[in-house]
Amino acid sequence: MDDVVVYERRSVASFTLVVFALALGLGGYVLVGLNQDGQPPADWPLAVAVWAGLGLVSWGVVRWRLPYADPLLLPCVLLLNGLGMAMIYRLDQATNPPMQSGRLQLGWAAAAVAVMLAVVVFLKDHRRLQRYTYLWFVLGLGLLLLPLVPGIGFANHGARVWIKLGTFSFQPGEVAKIVLSIAFAAYLTEKGDVLAKAGPRLLGLTLPRMRDLGPIAVMWGISMLILVFETDLGMSLLFFSLFVAMVYIATRRSSWAILGLLLVGVMGFLGYTYLGHVRVRFQAWLQPFSNYDQNWQIISAQFGFASGGLLGTGWGLGRPYLTPIAKSDFIAAALGEELGLVGLFAILLVYLIIVARVLRAALITRETFGALLAAGLAFVFGLQVFIIVGGVTRLLPLTGLTTPFMSQGGSSLISNYLLLGLLLTVTHQARKPQAQIETDEFSSLHDEATTAIPAVAAAGVRTPTSPSSASPAPTRTPQVTTPAPTGRASDVDAPTQAIAPQAPFGGDAP
Amino acid sequence: MSDLLVLGLRLLFLALLWLFVLFAVNVIRTDLFGRRVPASDVVAWDAAPPVPVTRPRRRAGRRLPSQLKITSGPRAGLTVPLGEGILIGRTPDALDLNDQFMSTTHATITLTPTGYVVEDLGSTNGTLLNESRIVGPTPLTRTDTLRIGRTTMTVDK
Repeated sequence: MDDVVVYERRSVASFTLVVFALALGLGGYVLVGLNQDGQPPADWPLAVAVWAGLGLVSWGVVRWRLPYADPLLLPCVLLLNGLGMAMIYRLDQATNPPMQSGRLQLGWAAAAVAVMLAVVVFLKDHRRLQRYTYLWFVLGLGLLLLPLVPGIGFANHGARVWIKLGTFSFQPGEVAKIVLSIAFAAYLTEKGDVLAKAGPRLLGLTLPRMRDLGPIAVMWGISMLILVFETDLGMSLLFFSLFVAMVYIATRRSSWAILGLLLVGVMGFLGYTYLGHVRVRFQAWLQPFSNYDQNWQIISAQFGFASGGLLGTGWGLGRPYLTPIAKSDFIAAALGEELGLVGLFAILLVYLIIVARVLRAALITRETFGALLAAGLAFVFGLQVFIIVGGVTRLLPLTGLTTPFMSQGGSSLISNYLLLGLLLTVTHQARKPQAQIETDEFSSLHDEATTAIPAVAAAGVRTPTSPSSASPAPTRTPQVTTPAPTGRASDVDAPTQAIAPQAPFGGDAP
Repeated sequence: MSDLLVLGLRLLFLALLWLFVLFAVNVIRTDLFGRRVPASDVVAWDAAPPVPVTRPRRRAGRRLPSQLKITSGPRAGLTVPLGEGILIGRTPDALDLNDQFMSTTHATITLTPTGYVVEDLGSTNGTLLNESRIVGPTPLTRTDTLRIGRTTMTVDK
C-alpha cells in the first residue's frame, strides 16, 4: 500500500502553548505592578479576563474553522502581543499621572483579533484571492495614496503616511503591504514561468520580456514613488525587497536576488549623497556619539541595552522610558533593557519560529499561489523585524518601522493580525490531509502510472513458452510495486487488478 | 517585596520564556516529517471541491473520454461507448474489429481512477499505441492513436 504524508493537528500542544503564551504576557504585566508597588496592578482581574478570553476564543475559532492550521503561529503571536502590551503598560507607569495607552492597546488587540477571526471564518481558502490580481493592485495603490489626500492625510514624525478618520489615526501602508503581497503572488503565479524562461539573454542573465514584466513593474514603480514622496524610508525598503524576493521565488533565478542587493546598495548610496535625512540616519548609525542632541534616541537605547545586560533589570525596574518613542519604534530596546539579552533573544527566536513555520508551509503547499503568498508574507514579516530590531541595536541604519505585534499602534496590530489570518489559512490548506489527488490536466499521462508498473506483469504475458491460461494470471497478480514517494502512485495498482479476472486467454489464433 | 524574591521572579520569567521557545521547537521537531499513513486511510477533511482556478483552455484535457472511435480499418466509422472498459477480440462478448490480424482476446481498455488504460492480452500481433508496441497496462488519452492490425482507433468524448 502506498503512503501519504499527513500532518497532525497538534491541538493539545497548540492549546498548551496558547495558555503558556497568555500566562507569560500576563505574568509580565503583573510583575510590573509587583516590582514597582509590591502589589499587582489595580485592575488586573479585568486585564487577565479580557486577554485570556481573547486568546482562548481565537484559539477555539481557529481550531473550529482551520483545524490543520499551523499549531505554533497563534501561540507565538499571542506571546509577542502579550509581552508588547505588558511593556506598553509598564511605560505608561513612568508618566504622572499614568497614561492609558496599555488599555487602548488592549482594545486595539481585541479589534485586531476580530479582524483575524473574520478572515479565518470567511476566507477558508486563500485561492479565492487569486482571482482579483489587478483589483488588489488598485486597492494597494489606493491605500498608499490615501495619506496624500488633503483633509484626511497628515504627517507625523516627518513621514506623511497617516490618515485621520474621526478620532482614529491609521497608517494605510501597513495594510497595503499585505494587499500588494497578494497582488504580486497572484500575478507571478500566472507569469512566473514566462518571466523565467522567455526573453533575451544578456551577460548570462535571462531578461524577462517587457510585456510580461511591464504591468507588475509599473505597479511597483508607482508604489515606490508614492512612498519616496511620503518620505517613508522603511516602507520603501520593505516594498522593494518584497518585490525582488517574490520575483526571485517565482522565477527561481538567483540573478534577481543579486540584482536586488546591488540596487539596494545603489539606492543607499544615492540616498546618502542627495537626501539629507538619509545622511542623518547613516551618521546616527556609524557615529551616534558625535552629536548627542540629534542622536539622543539611539544613544539612549544603547545605554538601555547596556544597563540591562545579560539578564535585564526585571519588569518595571529599568528606565526604558528615557528613550523617545519607546512604545512603538523602540519597544525592542525597552524589552532588551528589562529582560536583558537573554529575554530579547527569546523574543527574536519566537519571530524566527513564525517565519520558519510559514516558509515550511510554503514548501509543502501543492499549488504555486499559496507557496508564493506564504513565502512573500514570511519574507516581508521577517525583513520588517530584521530592519527595525537591527536599527534599534545599531546593526543597520535606523528606519522607522513598527515591531510586528509588539509596537503600540492600532494600524500595525490590525494589519499584522490580518496577516496572521492569511497565514493560518495558507498553512491549513498546506497541511490538511488530501486523499483526493487533485486531477490535473492529462493526469492519466502522469509518468508514475507508466514507470511504477513492474515489468513482471508484462513479462508473464509475453513469455512465449507459456501461452496457456494458467501461467499469466498468477504472475500478474502479485504487485511488486516499489514504495512510491507520492500518494499519486497508489492508482497504479488498479489497472492490473481490474484486468486480472479476465485471465482465460492466450490461444492466439490470428 | 524582598530583593531575593524580585531576583527569583526575574529569573523565573526568563526561564519560562525560554521554556516556551523550547516547547515550540519540540513541536517543530516532532512535526518535521509528518506521519506516513496508507493512502486509503486518509479521509479528506472537508469534502468541498477545490476552488477551480480559471484556466479555460485546459478544461478540455481534464474530461474523460467516453467512446472509442474506429478511424480506419474494416469497421471504420464505428463508435463504441467505453463505459467501465471493453474487451477487444474475437470472442462473442468482445468488440469485434473484423480484422484478420486480431487475436481471440486481443486487448482490453479499462477505466481506472486516473483514466482509461489499455493493455495487450498476449496477442500474436500486438497492440500499438502511437505506432509503438505496448508492454503492460498503458494510459490511453484523447491524444493517442491505438492500432490493432489494420485498424486504428482513438478515444473521444
